[in-house]
Amino acid sequence: MNLFQIISELEKVDPEIMDRLTHRRSAFTALGNFGKKLALAAAPIAIGSAFNKAVGQNTLMGVNEVFNYALLLERLEYSFYDQALKAATLTVPLTGIARTAIETIRGHEQAHVALLTAALGTNANPAPANGFDFGNAFATYESFLIFAQAFEDTGVRAYKGQAGNIDASLNPTIGGAQYNLLQTALQIHSVEARHAAHIRVMRRGATAGNQTNIFPWIINAEPNGVPAGVYGAGNPVATFPTEGNLVQGGLTLTSVGGKTYTAEDVSAAFDEALDSTTVTNIARSVVKF
Amino acid sequence: MSNNLKKGGDEAEIAKPLYVPIKRRSFFMYAGATAGATALLLSGCDDDDTGGGMPAGTVSLGSGDVGVLNYAYALEQLEAAFYAQIVATPYDGIPADEKAALTAIAKHEEIHREFFKAAITAAAPTMIIPGLTPDFSKINFKDRASVLGAAKTFEDLGVGAYNGAGKLIKDKNYLLLAGKIVSVEARHAAYVRDLITPGSFSASDVVNAAGLDQALDVTTVLTAAQTYIKEKINGDNVGK
Repeated sequence: MNLFQIISELEKVDPEIMDRLTHRRSAFTALGNFGKKLALAAAPIAIGSAFNKAVGQNTLMGVNEVFNYALLLERLEYSFYDQALKAATLTVPLTGIARTAIETIRGHEQAHVALLTAALGTNANPAPANGFDFGNAFATYESFLIFAQAFEDTGVRAYKGQAGNIDASLNPTIGGAQYNLLQTALQIHSVEARHAAHIRVMRRGATAGNQTNIFPWIINAEPNGVPAGVYGAGNPVATFPTEGNLVQGGLTLTSVGGKTYTAEDVSAAFDEALDSTTVTNIARSVVKF
Repeated sequence: MSNNLKKGGDEAEIAKPLYVPIKRRSFFMYAGATAGATALLLSGCDDDDTGGGMPAGTVSLGSGDVGVLNYAYALEQLEAAFYAQIVATPYDGIPADEKAALTAIAKHEEIHREFFKAAITAAAPTMIIPGLTPDFSKINFKDRASVLGAAKTFEDLGVGAYNGAGKLIKDKNYLLLAGKIVSVEARHAAYVRDLITPGSFSASDVVNAAGLDQALDVTTVLTAAQTYIKEKINGDNVGK
C-alpha cells in the first residue's frame, strides 16, 4: 500500500482529509523529510505523525501562545462580570443569590487571570490597552445573561479545543506550588462549564422570565438568543463540529448498542470544541478590545 | 518561571511509543475503515493483567489508554444506573421541572455508557470490562435530599475523575473525547448543586481559591465509587 492508496482509503471515510493535509503547509514537508530519513518499515509512523499534525486546526504553535490565548479570554470574562456588577442598570435585577453567584464567577475569572499570568511570567501578553467594550451588554438583565451565556459556553469550547495542544509532561512550579499544565487547563475548563450551567439556570429563573426551554446543557446547537456562531462549527469542521453533532468516534449515537436516542439527548450529552481562530472571531464580533 | 512553559516538547515527542500515532488516527477518525489494523495494534499493548490471579468478582480496568476508557466506562455505568433508578422511582414530591431535567441527565449518562461500550468493543474487544452491578442500598430513592446528595457526589466525582485522568491519556483524540464529556458532567454537577442549594454550582468545596475544579487520581475515585459497585474494581494500571 502506498501513500496515495492510504489517502484514498481515508477519503472514503473522511472526505476532507486532503483539505486538512493541504491546510497545513508543514504536513507534506514533514512527510517528505520523514520519508527520506526513515526506513521503509517506519513509513506508516511518519504518515501517522503527518496526519496528527494536519488534523486539528491549531494556529497556536506553543504552550505560551495557548496560555496567552486563555489569558485573553479570562481577562475578557473578568472584565465582563466586573463591569456587570458595577453597572447601574443591573443594580435592581442583579440582587441576592444572583448577585452573589456573579461575584463568585468574577472571583474565579480573576483567579484564572492571576494563575495564567503567573504561569506565563515574562511571556505574558499585556492586557488590551483600552480594556474591553461590551457595548449595550448591560442594558438589561436579559442582555447581560445572553452575553454571559455566550462567553461561558464559548470559553468551555475554547479550552476544550486547546487540551490536545498542551503537553501532559509540563509540571512547572508557579507561586511555590507545582502544577501540571494540562490538568490545570482541564480544571479551569470544567469550572467554566459550571459557570455556563449556572448562567443558563439563571435564565430559567423568574427574573429572566422563566425561560424553562433553556437547560444547563446545550441542546441541538440552540442559540437561545446568543449569536449562533457560539454553537456553530469551527475549522476544520470534522474536528470542531457544531454543538448539534451526533457522531462521536465514528459512531452515530442516535442508534447505538441496539438502542435509539433523540438528537436532543445525544447532542446535549457531548460538548464540542472550537479552534482558536473561530473563538477569537466570535469574541471580536461582540466585544471591542 | 518564564521558561517553565517551554520544557519537554521535543523530548516527549521522541519518547512516544511508535504505535501511538497510527492507533489514535485509526480508532477515532477512521474506526470503520481500519478496525482490523486497530485491533492488531492494540493487541500489542495488552499487559496480560486480566489473567493474573485476581480474586473472583474483581474487575481489572487494564492498562494504558484502554484502561482509561474502561475507567470512564465504569463510572458512566454507575451514573447511568443511578439516574435510571431515579427515573423509574422518582422521589416523593418531585417537581415536573426537576423530573424533566433529571430524565435528560439519565439519557446523557446512558448515551455515555453506550458510547464507551461500543467504542471499546470496536477498539479492544478482549479488554472491555463487563457490565458492573450497582449497589445503591445506601441511597433512599424516595427522599429528595438523599437522591440529590448522591447525584452531587457522583457528578463531582465524575468531573474530578476526568480532570485527573486527562494527563494519563496518550491519544489526543481520546483526550478531546474526555473533554467533550467532562464539561457535560460539570453542567450536571452545577445543576444538581443549584437544586440542593441555589448558588452552590461552583462552591469552595469543589473549586479552590485558584479557581480550579477538583482533579482526582484513580485510586481516590475508585475508593469513593467502590461503595456503589458490588464488583471489586482494580485500577492500578490505568494509564500506565
